[in-house]
Amino acid sequence: MGIDGNLSKRKNILYCIVSIVILCFLLFPLYWILVTSLKTEKEIFQIPPTFWPKELNLKSYLVQLEGGDFNMFHSFGNSLIISLGSMIIAIVLAVPASYGIAKYNFKGKKAIVLGFLVTQMLPVSVLLTPLFIMFKNMHLYNTLWSTILADTTIGIPFSVLILKNYFAAIPKELEEAAYIDGCNKFTAFVRVLIPIAKPGVMVCGIFSFLYAWGDLAYGMTFIIDQEKRPITAGIFNFMGQYGTKWSYLTAFAVATIIPVALIFIFMQKYIISGMTSGAVKG
Amino acid sequence: MSKIKKLFKYDNVGIWFVLPAFIYMILFVGYPIIYNFILSFQDVTVKTLRSDVKKFVGFRNYIELFQQNKVLATSIWNTLVFTVMCLVFQFVIGFALALFFNKKFKFSKPVRGLLMIPWMIPITITGLIFKFMFGTDVGIINYFLRSMNLISENIDWLTNTATAMPAVIFANVWIGIPFNMILISTGLTTIPTELYESASIDGANKFQTFRKITLPLLKPTIESVLILGFIYTFKVYDLIYVMTTGGPVNSTQVLSTYSYKLSFDMFKYSKGAAVANILFIILFFVSLIYLKYVYVEEEA
Amino acid sequence: MKKVLAMLVAITMIAAIMVGCGSSKDNQTAKTLQGTNETSGTSEKADDSASKEGNEDAGDTSGTVTVWYYWEAEKHQEALNKLIHKFNDSQSDITVEAKYVPFADFKKLLSIGASADALPDLVILDNPDHAAYASMGIFADITGRFDVSTYYEGPVNSCTLDGRLYGVPFGSNNLLLYYNEDMLKAANQEVPTTWDELIEVAKALTTDTVSGFAHSSLQNEEGTFNFLPWVWSTGASSYEINSEGGIKALTLIQKLVESGAMTKEAINWTQGDTMNQFISGNLAMMINGTWQVPTMRAEVPDLNWNVAPIPMDAIPTSGLGGENYAVIAGGNEDATIAFLKFATSKEQCLYMMNTMGFISSDSTIAVEQFKGDPVYEAFVEGMKYAYARGPLPEWPDVSDTISLAFNEVITGASTPEDAAAKAQATIDNILGQ
Repeated sequence: MGIDGNLSKRKNILYCIVSIVILCFLLFPLYWILVTSLKTEKEIFQIPPTFWPKELNLKSYLVQLEGGDFNMFHSFGNSLIISLGSMIIAIVLAVPASYGIAKYNFKGKKAIVLGFLVTQMLPVSVLLTPLFIMFKNMHLYNTLWSTILADTTIGIPFSVLILKNYFAAIPKELEEAAYIDGCNKFTAFVRVLIPIAKPGVMVCGIFSFLYAWGDLAYGMTFIIDQEKRPITAGIFNFMGQYGTKWSYLTAFAVATIIPVALIFIFMQKYIISGMTSGAVKG
Repeated sequence: MSKIKKLFKYDNVGIWFVLPAFIYMILFVGYPIIYNFILSFQDVTVKTLRSDVKKFVGFRNYIELFQQNKVLATSIWNTLVFTVMCLVFQFVIGFALALFFNKKFKFSKPVRGLLMIPWMIPITITGLIFKFMFGTDVGIINYFLRSMNLISENIDWLTNTATAMPAVIFANVWIGIPFNMILISTGLTTIPTELYESASIDGANKFQTFRKITLPLLKPTIESVLILGFIYTFKVYDLIYVMTTGGPVNSTQVLSTYSYKLSFDMFKYSKGAAVANILFIILFFVSLIYLKYVYVEEEA
Repeated sequence: MKKVLAMLVAITMIAAIMVGCGSSKDNQTAKTLQGTNETSGTSEKADDSASKEGNEDAGDTSGTVTVWYYWEAEKHQEALNKLIHKFNDSQSDITVEAKYVPFADFKKLLSIGASADALPDLVILDNPDHAAYASMGIFADITGRFDVSTYYEGPVNSCTLDGRLYGVPFGSNNLLLYYNEDMLKAANQEVPTTWDELIEVAKALTTDTVSGFAHSSLQNEEGTFNFLPWVWSTGASSYEINSEGGIKALTLIQKLVESGAMTKEAINWTQGDTMNQFISGNLAMMINGTWQVPTMRAEVPDLNWNVAPIPMDAIPTSGLGGENYAVIAGGNEDATIAFLKFATSKEQCLYMMNTMGFISSDSTIAVEQFKGDPVYEAFVEGMKYAYARGPLPEWPDVSDTISLAFNEVITGASTPEDAAAKAQATIDNILGQ
């Protein structure tokens, strides 16, 4: 699929080196988070900065496990439920919708596309009060559902607008072949089109998951019980009116990234191949 | 007759695929949009928030916002600068990286995967880290610049009205690069390989194939990425709030932070809603332009 | 395009009607269910219901009391939980439970809760915001239901609006000058007591890696809190920025920053960040509050530091900070007041204050609280000349204006005169409304 097909050995090595340089540059902030989390609070503010801690300080990590009311494992579980829930709803609703937009012509289609865009146009802060009132009336206030439903409002439009391009790129002949094989519109969609659009579905799933994973405002506002809050809420244990505790905060960041990163690395084979191996190879 | 009937049926099927998602969005975001519109035409402040009768004041909030001080105008300008600069840099860099990692070399897939990690960090933490890195005396960025002899004195990035905005843009571009890169990468997978093969047989050079094949076929993806990127960047809140809270002296105040400040710091709920609405209206017109000039072409 | 618009409007309206119906119905049921809960509205209405309930008083002190608080420090959370535990064990009718709401979200959640009728029974909040919420009508008028006669005047004023009592001071703190004794000694300097001395000493202490002096100068309430003592020290009030005194205070900040003695970065520092810089040895002197003492003693036991009054111009001043308890109108008011009486009793109050590093707002408790601890005694002394911000429902607005003014001066965007004139125009506008 690449423009050059297979590369010569020399080019291969050169590109590998370039990619490592890019990686180092772009991931430096992550390295800096890691190193800071291993320093003592005093060393963090030292001039000039040290690139590796002089004395390894693991205290910041131990603190994560005993954070008062805030239970790291519990809130991790909450975040996982919220993110997966939001991802599933977004995918279930957005995949057919994007297919409908890409492959059919119907009245008001443009209005609907505009509608999906319009629903993204208010900053989160002004959505909080009306959504809060709604969730309270629906008796969903202080439940994980409130946050799942709210987070999904970010995932759906995103997924629809990205996925419609994948469906649009699938040649009509493939669909027609499915009809000849005895599929109806629905089964053709499920058995033929979705597998072909898999890279797009994967990407949308990942983004929906990560949007919900990184959410702080909804989880903080619609859930008042500490034990139901998502993991991002833990940030406030280390920053606030008494100043930012950098070593604790960065250790918290590392602790929140690692599980997700592990899932990614563990499933990388599937995710990366899913993302980049479209079936539209002809 | 049968042709018309067939068309009609065809239409119906399409809308049934779309409706569930659309109804979901209208249900959960339609009400807030209307709530916000109404609020912006009322006079709701700390004293009237809980009273049953809320005074309708027409456009007074909007007029006062435009007349009283320059913060609104500054915020609109800042929002535009922030959005355009972020979009340009993250899109160009993201696109370049997507093309680069589309080549089949040994590290291409694992490295591209690793570049996704910045997306897993909650934005609040990303903001804090960049605030830390942009620090004047202990910041690592000044340290690097000094060791490379690019500057002789520390730059007060976040506390100087001239440099705060570039610093915030830099941080947002960092978050946006993987977003653009991955979306364009996956968009590239929809381009059939044999198009490139036949192009190279025809003796087209790389630039020509890029211009004649890659760009046109990628157009829908590019459009979606840009319009979504525009909307998301235009209402960025967390990052700026954490890095500068809109300061120093409103030099990074954008519409979303200003709206938040009015509503929840100063208890001017209606004015906050009005600022959010201005943001909404600007985005609405941008989307209309997108639909009219861009999306139509695509269908034709 | 028109068609598109029309359709969109129609769809949104249908949705709104759907949602609107649902919520208004629910509101009605909520109204009938709650009955007396609908006090709120204007403050007169709140007064009414308060006196009504006062008459009916007698007995209904049972049920659950939910408390919202924002202390993120584990030690503070534990202290509050312990206090609540003790109360719950001491009787069987009332159960108190605490919910943590982060400081950054506290104001927001109170506003949203007020719009959506989802408030707790008791909140512990930052005192400059008290008047605003009291004017919103969400706090119960507890005049005559709680005795504050032995409390310091400043803290009580912060819970008072139009002569009515809308809360109880939880505990107080104020600001002093912290200084690094070793750095002063090394530079052969004395502790500054006047503004001129402050500038001289701060300059002398400034090196490549150390800033001589700083205080949190954020463009928000926190920054205003730290800046205002300069204004007050000249004899001007918070509302007189474009006075001789106000301009003089802004000029002091300008001189400190221009000479390099005060780091500009302070406009991005919270009070906690300022303390972190101080204990890391990057800052020789700072203005900071009472509550930092326990943390500093725990974190850097070896650092030689001490406190002194804030250097003054004409009169000695300090900023009065602290938290107040406020009972939510229409909540479980009587049970909440019963808990408050327990929490403010001498034994419990001393326990809370000492663990948190606060000074009791009850003067009879405060004078004995820190006998023999010179640092704390200096803070107790400071209570005498600590000024309160507000109380004014529009205080957040005034505060924002003041913080913008000194931020303009620190960044060099304006001269003290211009910044003061601009701020004064805004303040006059706010007060005139």
